[in-house]
Amino acid sequence: MEKKSMKFKSSSTSRILKVHNGTFLIGLLLTIVLFWQGDASARIFIDINAPSIQKIKIAIPDFRNLSREGENPELASELAGVVANDLEMSGYFSSMDKSAFLAEDKDALTQEEIHFKDWSVIGADLLLKAGYTCIGESVELEVRLFDVFWGRQILGKRFLGKAKQYRTLMHRVGNAIIKRLTGNQGIFLTKLAFVGTATGHKEIYVCDYDGYNLKRITFDRNIALLPRWSPKGDKLFYNSYRGGKGPVLYLKDMVSGRVKTVSARKGLNIGACWAPDGKSAALTLSEGDNPDIYSIDLEGNILRRLTNHWGIDVSPAFSPDGTKIAFVSNRSGSPQIYVRDLKKGTEKRLTFEGNYNTSPAWSSLNRIVYAGGEEGDRNIYTVSPDGSNLRKLTENQQNNEDPCWSANGRYIAFSSNRDGAYHIYIMNANGQNQTKITSFKGEQTSPSWSP
Amino acid sequence: MMKRMMIVLVAVSFACASLLMVTSCAKKQVKVEEGAKPAPAVTPAPTAKPEKAAPPKVEKREAAKKLEEERQARLRELERAQKLRAEIRAFESTNIYFDFDKSELKPEAQAVLEKKAAWLRAHPEYKVRIEGNCDERGTNEYNLALGERRANAAFKYLNALGISADRMTTISYGEERPADPRHNEEAWAKNRRDEFKLYK
Repeated sequence: MEKKSMKFKSSSTSRILKVHNGTFLIGLLLTIVLFWQGDASARIFIDINAPSIQKIKIAIPDFRNLSREGENPELASELAGVVANDLEMSGYFSSMDKSAFLAEDKDALTQEEIHFKDWSVIGADLLLKAGYTCIGESVELEVRLFDVFWGRQILGKRFLGKAKQYRTLMHRVGNAIIKRLTGNQGIFLTKLAFVGTATGHKEIYVCDYDGYNLKRITFDRNIALLPRWSPKGDKLFYNSYRGGKGPVLYLKDMVSGRVKTVSARKGLNIGACWAPDGKSAALTLSEGDNPDIYSIDLEGNILRRLTNHWGIDVSPAFSPDGTKIAFVSNRSGSPQIYVRDLKKGTEKRLTFEGNYNTSPAWSSLNRIVYAGGEEGDRNIYTVSPDGSNLRKLTENQQNNEDPCWSANGRYIAFSSNRDGAYHIYIMNANGQNQTKITSFKGEQTSPSWSP
Repeated sequence: MMKRMMIVLVAVSFACASLLMVTSCAKKQVKVEEGAKPAPAVTPAPTAKPEKAAPPKVEKREAAKKLEEERQARLRELERAQKLRAEIRAFESTNIYFDFDKSELKPEAQAVLEKKAAWLRAHPEYKVRIEGNCDERGTNEYNLALGERRANAAFKYLNALGISADRMTTISYGEERPADPRHNEEAWAKNRRDEFKLYK
C-alpha cells in the first residue's frame, strides 16, 4: 500500500547547502546535501557520520482528516505527534513548535497547494504534510515530505494500519523518512528490554524504543537480570534467581512465550551475549569457583572455553563478525576491558584510564561502548577496538551505566540516575540528544535494544 | 512405673541402712546391693505397708513431683532452645565485610569466621549457606562475580578450619540485595559483605 509520487525539477551536480535566514552557508559542519543523480531521482542526504549533527528543522502541522464522517478527529494531532517525537529522538531533526506556524494552507497537501514561502520564513527546512482516512478500524495515511527551500516533494507514500496501533503506523512513517534522508534503517520500530523494580522485585520488562507499550515479561517475584535480545529480536536471554540456586540462564521465545532453562550450572551463568549468527552465545560460568567466559549453544551445551584466567572474567561482547570478544577482567587488579581474538587466542587490554571500566558492547559499526571511570561518577565512553579514538559521552550527570547499542550502531541506550532514581536514556552514538525514555515506577536499568 | 521407682528407692534406702551397719568386705557389699534390687519383688512388705496405709497422700505427692519434674524438664528444654536460637541469631547476624572491589578476608573477618567455625564444629547437624554481596557501584555482572569470590573466600577459610565442604553452600547476590539501601560510603561499607544462613 505504498505509492511513490515524486516530482523533481532541473538538475545540477551535488551541492551542499544550508538554509539559514534565507542565505546559503556552504561548507557548514552540518548540512543537507542534495545529490542529483541524472534521472532526477534526487535525495536530501543527512550525513549521519559527521562528528556532530546540526538539526534540520522540520514543520509537522496537524494531519488533515479525510475520513468521510470526520471520525477520529483526535488523530490529526496524535499522528503528527508520534512522528514528530520520532524524528526529534533520531537526533537529526528538531520538530518546530506549532504556534510558530504562519501558513494558512491547512488543507493543502500537494506541492501546488502549499505556500512554501510561509514555511521558509519561519525557518523550516522540511515540511511534512499528511492526510488520513479512517475506514472502520483501519487508517490510511497519505504522507508527503517537502524540501521547503526548493518547494519540492522528496517523499510521497501511502501507509495502511490499524487505528488502535497508530503509534506503530507512525513509526513506519518515521522509518521511511529516515531511510529516505539518510539511507539507513530507522530505529522507530525497535524495542527496549530492561530490568524494572516497579513491583519491589527486579523483573524484566519490554517497551517500544520511545517508552510506550510497556509489557512485563517475567513474573518470578525474585531477582531477574540482564535481558539480551537475540539478533533477530525473536528471543530473549535473561537471568533469574527464581529457583533459589543463584543466577540461572533462561531463554524466552518472544513469539510463543515459552521459557526454557539454558544453563543452571553451579554458581554463575550470567551475561549471555548472542553470537552475531544467533546460534550460540558467550557467557560467564563459574561452576561455583572461578568465573571464565565460555560459548554455549542454545541448549546450554558448552562449545568452547573462551577465557582461562584466575581473575574475574565477565561481560563478553562479540565483534560484529564474531571473531573477537570484548570482555571485563580484573587480572590487572581492577576491572578493565580486554579484547580477545578468538582465532589467534591473543588478548589485549583496551582501557587504561580510570580504575573501573566495565560493560562493553560492540556496535555493528565497529565501535565499543563501555561504562567507566574512577570510584566516583561513572560515565559512558566509546573507543575503537584498537584502543584509538576514545570519547567520553556523558559528564557531570551522576552515574551512567549499562550501555548498549541499537542494531544499526547509531544510538546508545543506557541507565542513569541523573534524576535521582535510575531510568533508561538513549542518545546518539556521539553522545548528543540524551533523552529520558522510561519514567516508570521504581528504577529501570540494564537495557537491551532489539533489532 | 512411678510405683516401681518408689519401691526401688525404699529398697535402696534399706540397703544403704544395712550397708552402714555392715562393715565387712567389698564382696558382701556387692552381695547386699545385688540383693537390694530384687528386694521389692521378694520382700514387698516394708514398702507395701506405707503404700497401703496412705495411698492417696503418696500418690498426690508423686503426681506433684512428677509434674514438677516435667516442668523443670520443659524449662530446661526451653532454655536450651532459647540459647540455641540466640546462638543461631548471633551466627546469622554477624556478617564479614570487605574492602571495595576486594574479596580478601580482613583480620576482623578471619576472627569472625573462626568463631563461626567453632560453633559449626559444636553443632554438626547444621549446614551454612554463605551469601556474597557487593555495594551498588560497578556493574551487575562484575559484582555477581565479585560476590561469588567473597562467598568463596569465607567457604575456603571455614573449610581450612575443618568445616567439611558438604556442610557449606555459596551463592552470590552481587549488588542485588543491599543491607543498607542508601547511596553513600557508610551504606556501601555495610553492603560489601558475606551473610551466613544456617539450615539443617
